[in-house]
Amino acid sequence: MNNIEGKIWLFGDDINTDLMYPQVCYTLKEEEKPFYAMSANRPGWSKMVNRGDIIVAGRNFGTGSSRPAADNIKNLGISCVIAESINGLFLRNSVNSGFLALTVPGIVDAVDEGDILYIDLKNNTVINKSNNRKINFKPLPQFLMDIIDNGGIINILRNKGLLGWPL
Amino acid sequence: MNIIEKILRNHSVEDIPEVSPGDIVTVNVDRAIITDMAALHPEFINEPPVKPFDNNKIAVIFDHFVPPPNIEISSRINRLRKLVDLWNIRDFYDVGRGGISHVIAAEKGFLRPGSLIANTDSHTIAVGAFNTVGRGLGTPEIMNIIATGKTWFVIGDTIRVNLNGNMNSNASYRDVFFNIAGTTGDIPNNNIEFHGDGIKRITMDGRSSISTMCAEISAEFSVFPYDSVLKNYMDNINIYDYKAIEPDNNTYYYKTYDIDLNKIEPMIALPDRIINNIKPVSEINKTEISVAVVGSCANGRLSDLRDVSSVLKNHRVNRNVRFIVTPASQEIYNEALRLGYIDTIIKSDALVTNPTCGACLGGHMGVVGDGDTVISSTTRNFKGRMGSSKANIYLASAKTVAASAVKGYISGDLSE
Repeated sequence: MNNIEGKIWLFGDDINTDLMYPQVCYTLKEEEKPFYAMSANRPGWSKMVNRGDIIVAGRNFGTGSSRPAADNIKNLGISCVIAESINGLFLRNSVNSGFLALTVPGIVDAVDEGDILYIDLKNNTVINKSNNRKINFKPLPQFLMDIIDNGGIINILRNKGLLGWPL
Repeated sequence: MNIIEKILRNHSVEDIPEVSPGDIVTVNVDRAIITDMAALHPEFINEPPVKPFDNNKIAVIFDHFVPPPNIEISSRINRLRKLVDLWNIRDFYDVGRGGISHVIAAEKGFLRPGSLIANTDSHTIAVGAFNTVGRGLGTPEIMNIIATGKTWFVIGDTIRVNLNGNMNSNASYRDVFFNIAGTTGDIPNNNIEFHGDGIKRITMDGRSSISTMCAEISAEFSVFPYDSVLKNYMDNINIYDYKAIEPDNNTYYYKTYDIDLNKIEPMIALPDRIINNIKPVSEINKTEISVAVVGSCANGRLSDLRDVSSVLKNHRVNRNVRFIVTPASQEIYNEALRLGYIDTIIKSDALVTNPTCGACLGGHMGVVGDGDTVISSTTRNFKGRMGSSKANIYLASAKTVAASAVKGYISGDLSE
């Protein structure tokens, strides 16, 4: 995976899956779904997101359901989530959707909304280009990075010929 | 090794002597469960796995949208239903024949002590009550499991929670969970293992409620030990083929907490989150409610219907409250009918629905609207969870929900 640079949107603790992918999304057209992300807690936000932006959040990001919340913010154009801690199910869903979510303790105190964040995946460092603060992080295991680099689990299954025809 | 580590080690694809925190293990799953939610994931119905790793290890259980609330969902579930014949699935529970997947999995004997369960629903951690491990997984991941029979887990640190003493009669197991959540806070990637002298008096319903709700503190796995209570449950459903798991002596736990069951009183989670948002009901000012709900994998069980029925006996639901009661399975519904609970509940002006996840996910059977104030025994109070994002959702035990439904405002006890 290449290094990432993007503008920060800052969120608090316990941002849950139902905020990222509200119940109504299930039966919407694919292209409409992302605009409902965070509509309950931050109305109008989804329309302000530009491709490549980064979400920085507090503790317990992605708590909740198995719904495709990671997919939804990925499809909105978010390039990566950086949080103080991340729910295990959200992390699995991110990896399986080919989307990067990193646990970086201390990140919230090192950034303001709108700062430009650079994620160096070779040196496992995030650098806030707006104030030059730098934090090292523990990388995801290579096993998980390989799933992300292969475009997610569906892609891997498809390439192995394990998926069939529409029901 | 503790119970969770041993179960994961026993299911490792590679023969390994032990696992420890930080390890990634690839495991064989004993049972994979698909719910009707798979139909709402386009990837699943457009590109299903060609064939399952073992059709007799897969169960299809329809629960979230029973019966389907609209044409779109009904049509998608019809597409999913084709898999049952295509894959020759024996364990299929359609509308009228099942209930919530975690409850059916227990009733049908899929949750055998020492086993490992895969299910897309995020409350799969419920299985921990059965000395079994499982956690919620995404739909793409269950497609991988159906195709290969395998998945991976990262071994997390394990927290030991000792449940000691005896519970007071006014408290419920749901209040025990709230107390645990208040004690541990959020614990992403960490496991919980329950011990303590109070466990032997906690019923399987109680253990299931506590274990289910551990999803709400972001626990990775939760597990209860094997004992006579669990053994009796398994004996009653004629399941003897399993190998229960005990922790090693002197097992290391990352943290240990002691919970004194004697001190637990009725608790409530205020709207929008559970973490850092729980109070004793006695400290809540008079808060009027418009909707009351009892149901879900956490607290739509027989003991919850019993609690509702005993609170409602000789009372009526307040005229400003819509009280919706949803049994978690057909078996529970049937048993509640036989015991007279349903009769008492409907004669008190509460509405009893068919078994389903229903109002918990805001999809049908009690979708709430703008301005509603809800008290519910279901699993989540996220903004918008049960319908409108302009509704406030409080979570509490079935007993507290029923008492509040009668009073018309949040109350832990009718005598207050």
